Parts: sequence; structure tokens; C-alpha cells
Amino acid sequence: MAASGQTAFTLPAPPFELPFLPPLSGSWTVTIGAQGQYQPDFEGAKASMLSAAPIFSIHRAGSADPFRSPLDSASIALIDFGDLRAGPAAKFVPARLQDGHPELFGLGDVNAALELGGFIEYFPVDWFRLRNETRAGLGGHRGVVSDFTADFIVPVTRGITISGGPRFAWESTDAISPYFSINAAQAMATGLPMFNAMGGAHSAGAGMQVKYQINPQWEVHSFVEYERLLGDAANSPLVTVRGSVNQTTVGIGASYSFDVKIR
Amino acid sequence: MHDNVRCASVAAVIVLALSGGASAMFESRDTKLQAVKTVGIISAIGDQFTLARAGLTGLDNSSRSFTISSWGLDDLIIQQATAALSGRFQVKPVSYQRAVFASIEESPIKAVELVRGDPFKKLVKTEVSPQGLDAYIVITKAQANLGGGRGRKVEGIGLVTYRAVLESYSQLYALYEIRIVDGKTFDMIEKMAAAPLDNAANVRLPGPSRLVDENLSIGAGDAGDENMHRAIVDLIVRSLPITLSDMHLR
Repeated sequence: MAASGQTAFTLPAPPFELPFLPPLSGSWTVTIGAQGQYQPDFEGAKASMLSAAPIFSIHRAGSADPFRSPLDSASIALIDFGDLRAGPAAKFVPARLQDGHPELFGLGDVNAALELGGFIEYFPVDWFRLRNETRAGLGGHRGVVSDFTADFIVPVTRGITISGGPRFAWESTDAISPYFSINAAQAMATGLPMFNAMGGAHSAGAGMQVKYQINPQWEVHSFVEYERLLGDAANSPLVTVRGSVNQTTVGIGASYSFDVKIR
Repeated sequence: MHDNVRCASVAAVIVLALSGGASAMFESRDTKLQAVKTVGIISAIGDQFTLARAGLTGLDNSSRSFTISSWGLDDLIIQQATAALSGRFQVKPVSYQRAVFASIEESPIKAVELVRGDPFKKLVKTEVSPQGLDAYIVITKAQANLGGGRGRKVEGIGLVTYRAVLESYSQLYALYEIRIVDGKTFDMIEKMAAAPLDNAANVRLPGPSRLVDENLSIGAGDAGDENMHRAIVDLIVRSLPITLSDMHLR
């Protein structure tokens, strides 16, 4: 996000400081906004739904955000050489609930999962990024997920940036099975054949994003991400009979940034 | 009855002790600064000017540097900081090896920084004389990611030229940070990087910077370029009092 060029508020410093944490005094940039996206109801679904999410960030004024792709999980670079960055990453995977989705009736719910792991990204040149995130699940699945992305980042003008590139995901059996396997009881309840989903290549696709920084305060962005399910995710009867291997997500958002000075 | 009174007294003593300990633990920067009467100022932002390229660069996007020691930026900073702080503190002249302070590089691995601690605290203890002042103000170059899709870092004084498909533009920067080191314990009282100036447009650097536009023409792009020299001096002169004020030193 761009930093705002004008200080909107001045706030007093807190009466005390916490040890080991930097002081709050100085200029901070607050970014607020919203993003709407149209995405599959669940992974493998044929139908899509519209959802909205808030955008909020706060950082030191002018701190330059590194490039972010829509698929990036929340992450912190604990190793930062500039062109090579690495650190922990986390992603929340919402629960898959059968209520409201007739194609899931009889399969039962899959709890929400928290995926924890790490990321590494490398910029061989300023306009190209390679990134891998590998995360292990807790909760809804206990498998391992590894996402590979490559993005060409093309600044068109000082305000407009277009980026995009290929994507590939690998998942272990424990990560795929809760969502795509069908056991005997589920087969009886759904009429679908039994299926034992094994790990491997999970999806491949491509994505593209456009960002337009209108001025130091306002920024709008839009993206499209397409993935085609592969391996046993694509072979599951849930997908072959009731769903689709083609998964497309489209999003659009806007944000406003302003500075806050803490004295 | 006596037992109750004794218990209440003991409880009161414990509460007072705990609150005293807590207030010492959470002692604010302002409390620490109130005890500071004498300060020494150390400036070592370096004497290198870096020309960097970003955006649609070729495969070789390495930076180029040249010396700007003739600009006397560190002397200017000491002069400006002394003028800004003299109203509140007794500013004492100090001697130190400028090159030693300027050569310190931030580790790209956060864990290393945590384990080794801030190297400037040690340098203040071993490389500065006289010792015994209440605090030392240490001004050194800061580092920043270029951001906006670029996996690059810049630091100190320089000029970065961004190349886009339809245009290219340049930004001058003076990135520095200020530490206040306790002269007795050598603990860090505060550390802050100079923030962008309010008139910066489409800021992408977390420090004083300005676009090279029709109001600022860059000539040879070397140490002899007076326009560039004046623009950097302007960034420092305008941002230094603001940063010192943000640190409650003024």
C-alpha cells in the first residue's frame, strides 16, 4: 500500500512502554478498505458465491510493502536479504459445512483448519518473484500443503502495476483426504462411490492482478485466479459427479491510507 | 484485629513494591529522558552516494556508488542537531571514529540481530570519548525495502530510478535513524528512523525523500552536482528537527 502524504491525526503517546517492543512514537500509516470476491462455494464446487472482507493494515509511515499476490498467506520475513526473504507463514482455512450446499449432504462437515509453516521467496530481478509456502494443517486437516507461485511484476506507470504468473499446489494425503475422500458411510448417505483420495499434485493454474494507486491515499486493485484441480482432487466423485475441476476466483477492492502521528 | 491490620500493612507493602517494580519495568522514554542533562552527538551516515535502478531493469541491476565526503553531511547533521537540542540539553563535543560507526551493517537475519544486540551500544561504550555523559545521540544510515514489487533494499543517501513501461522517474533519499543510548548503562532509550516528509508524493520509501521533477534537475549525477547536494541537504535539514521532536528530544 502507498503511504499517505498527509498527517490526519496526532495522538498522545501511551503513558508507558512495553519492554522489548519499539516505542510507538512517530508517524504511522493506517490503511482501511474492503475487498469483494466471487469464488467457488468450496474447493471443487461448480457454483460460486460472493463474499466480502475488510482490508486493514498499520505500519510505519512510508514503509514499503513488498509485492503481494492474492494467494499469499499472512507471513513475516525474519530473513530479509532484499531479493531473498523467508519466514513463518499462516493461513486460515474455513470450515466446509454441508448446510446450504446440497452437493455436500451426507458428507458431513470438515472443521476449520489452521495451516502453519514457512515461506521463501526470491527476486532474481526486480520484476519477477518466485515463492513457495509450505504449511502443515491443524484442525480440519493434518496434512502438508505446498504452494508454488511465480509472478511477473510489470510497472506500467508510477501508479499502475500489473502482475501475474503460473501457480502449482502439492498436497499430502492427510491434507486432501478430509475434503475429497468418500468413505463407506458417506457413500451410503450420498449415493456417490467410495473413494480414497491420495496426496500428490493438487492444482495448477494462473493468476493476474492489477493495482492502481490513484494518489498517495487511494488505491484500487482487481485480480483473477484460475486453478484446475489435479490428481485425486480432480478424480474424486465429489468433483467428477457434482463439482468442477475448474476453480476461478475474481476479486476487486479499494483502500484508503492516512497517517497518524503519535507524539 | 491486630492480625487484620498487620495483613493489610503487608498487603500494602507488597502492592507498593509490585507497583514500584512495574513502574521501573515499564518506565517510559520520557521518564528516562528527564534525567538526561548532558548529551554527545555522533553522526556517521557515511560518505557514499548510491545510484540504484528499480522496476523494469535488465538482468544486471547492481548499484553504483561514489564518495560525497566533500559534502560534509555528518558535520552538518551535528551542527543542526546541536542547535536543535541546545535549548534542553548541554551538548558536549565528543570524538569517535566515524568510519567505524558508518561500517556497521544490519544483519538480514532478525535472529542474529536479537542475539548480538544493537552493535551501536557497544561502540558508544568503546569508541567514544569522553565517557560519562548522560546520553549519546547516534545518527547513522537506515535501510529500507523499495517495495511496490521490488525485491531491493536501499540505504543511506542516494538516488533510485524506477523504470516503468510508459515512464521512468527518480527519487532522491536520505535514510537515517537516530538512537539515544544511555551514557551510564548503555541501554537503548529509543531508536527511530526519520519518517517521510509530509510533502512527499506517492511515497514508497520509509524516510525523507523527494521526486526529481521540474523543480529539481539532476546534472552530472556525481559529487559535483550542486543541485543534488542542495536537495539532500534540504531533506536532512527539514527532517532532522521533526525526528528529534518525535523522539521527545525537543
